[in-house]
Amino acid sequence: MRLFLAIVVCKVLRFVGGLMGKGSSLPGQYALKLCPDVLGRVRLPAHIIAVTGSNGKTSTVEMIAEILKQDGRKVVYNKEGSNQIEGVATLILSSCSLGGRVRGDVLLLESDERYAKLTFRWFHPTHFIITNLYRDQLTRNGHPEWVYDAIKPAIFPETTLILNADDPLVSCFARDHDPAKVKWFGLDRCPVSTREHRGVYHDGARCPVCRGRMEYACYHYAHIGHYACPACGHRRHSADFAVTALDLKAGRLTINGETDISLAFKSIYNVYNILAAWSACAVAGVSPAVMAGVIDNYLLKNGRMITFRLGQHRGTLLTSKHENSVAYDTNLAYIADSGKPCAVLVLVDSISRKYFTGETSWLWDIDFDRLNVPHVEKILLYGKYCNDLAVRFKYSQIPADRVQMGEDVGEGLALLRESGDEDIYAVTCFSDRDKLLACVDRD
Amino acid sequence: MELTILHLYPDCMSLYGEYANLAVLRRHLRAAGVSVTVETALFEDAPPFERADLIYMGAGTERAQKGAITALLPHQEGLRAAVDRGAAVLFTGNAMELLGMSVTDESGEAWPCLGLAEFTTVETDRRDPGDVIAHTSLWDSPVVGFMNKCSVTRGVETPLFDRLSLGLGNQVEHGPEGYASGNVLGTHITGPVLVKNPDFTGFLIRRLFEAKGWAAPEALPDLPYEREAYEVTLKELSARAGG
Repeated sequence: MRLFLAIVVCKVLRFVGGLMGKGSSLPGQYALKLCPDVLGRVRLPAHIIAVTGSNGKTSTVEMIAEILKQDGRKVVYNKEGSNQIEGVATLILSSCSLGGRVRGDVLLLESDERYAKLTFRWFHPTHFIITNLYRDQLTRNGHPEWVYDAIKPAIFPETTLILNADDPLVSCFARDHDPAKVKWFGLDRCPVSTREHRGVYHDGARCPVCRGRMEYACYHYAHIGHYACPACGHRRHSADFAVTALDLKAGRLTINGETDISLAFKSIYNVYNILAAWSACAVAGVSPAVMAGVIDNYLLKNGRMITFRLGQHRGTLLTSKHENSVAYDTNLAYIADSGKPCAVLVLVDSISRKYFTGETSWLWDIDFDRLNVPHVEKILLYGKYCNDLAVRFKYSQIPADRVQMGEDVGEGLALLRESGDEDIYAVTCFSDRDKLLACVDRD
Repeated sequence: MELTILHLYPDCMSLYGEYANLAVLRRHLRAAGVSVTVETALFEDAPPFERADLIYMGAGTERAQKGAITALLPHQEGLRAAVDRGAAVLFTGNAMELLGMSVTDESGEAWPCLGLAEFTTVETDRRDPGDVIAHTSLWDSPVVGFMNKCSVTRGVETPLFDRLSLGLGNQVEHGPEGYASGNVLGTHITGPVLVKNPDFTGFLIRRLFEAKGWAAPEALPDLPYEREAYEVTLKELSARAGG
């Protein structure tokens, strides 16, 4: 009876909330209050895929869902990215029959890396994809090893792990797991790979198992690459699903030497997200032809790249996450690769949209020197924390005469509107992007 | 005027951009006419304590911190000798815990530490991140910063900060924080605390001058934007702390 009630309450609140444009965690929250073990009582599909990690969860889930749908499966998934237990409860209960059976072939969940153990206390994923672990919102999540320890209790012996082989910390999840239940994805050495580490800090410098000095044959980005620890033998596993060729500038990659894919967004992130989605769907039995048909030139619905105009300028908003230096670095690398004269705007006004903090240490983890290329002609530092940004830039190699700053982004953009026609790249977070978009003309 | 800074384990103990503390300190010292050498030691190295005027360590993960103390203990005599001759020590974030007697990890294992102070630390399974405003009698202005800790430190007799108007002290909310005795300084404030606080940097520079027997600089130059960044953060955090 309580199960029935929880389902009804969830569905009603979901419907009402939908009319009012409210978020998706509240209905689940109420349902969990009415019936705390509701997630253990519903009948779930045989195939349950979970995706977690620091970056790429939402995009990976979206691509998996599109592929599985194309393959004719009915997929229940959290497209809004509400990934804590309340959001997951909302999703599951609103997709239930009143008898408590989830109406779908596959349940696909983006799972918050810290709360996975709460969600999966009640049911266990059949497949668990872990994309990467790195410094991400340390104020909220804790450091990568803390997150690793938080995910670990959510992993059960019967679950098949689908792991990023190129991440030395993520690879540790396989250490006490049945090897027959681990599938690996990774990127072969390719033109984006470097012999030397690039970045302000190197979280792969030490082996996560024994703290010995890690050796890398190559890096793809940050601490992601081909590593081996001479001391304890922890090393990159060969990949079951590999990007065997990649030309990021041209926007092309090849999977397992057979399937060519074009990239709508030429970022290393996109490469890994595609590969993670490919791996999950291949394990689920989807044919390469169906997968390729969907992800070739796939334009993400949750796309974090928005284009705009400002006077004679054409602009691109690259949504990074504040407090996530890897996301920033990836976007700065994208700008550095663009090659055309441009101005770059960095806006740090509210550090988070969910909580207040004055924490700016993450600015020191960003490799702003990537912008020290001739085509980046002007750099504008704006927002409440423009002084913190300006101090940070004083310790970069970027000539001071290229940098201008101010608190009010509106003023900065008004000045820019009146002169020049170079491209603009704006780098900021969800928490600040509306302030920027309010001052430009959206495409 | 020449000065040597020893940075301990920068590859593991710089979880929140702590390397910036030394970048900023170096630039300030140069502005004060001092030529600075920064040396680094990794876990495998015998740290050159004998040359050091300031020994610095930043925050790491709990596992990295255990790696650091394991690496450091065999060389503790060198560190002790440096302290005895007046070298300054600044350990920030969970490196501060290593100055005490022990750190007990979540499994209950007690890790012996340097024993430069009487205090002990116990790790918890809860992480308490939060903004900080800290008050000290050693210089005038409050310190602003951020803490990201999962431990309780007991038995500090001489804290660096007498009270916090925002944030978690060694043991309790708003309580005393950090450790200061002579030139040995510790605070759990993570990240670039010297970058954010020009007066903390100034205090440290004066201490370093004193230890070297140099005449104290009358006024230390402010470097661009640092004071403004400090003021903005102080204002924001004060509003949150309720004035």
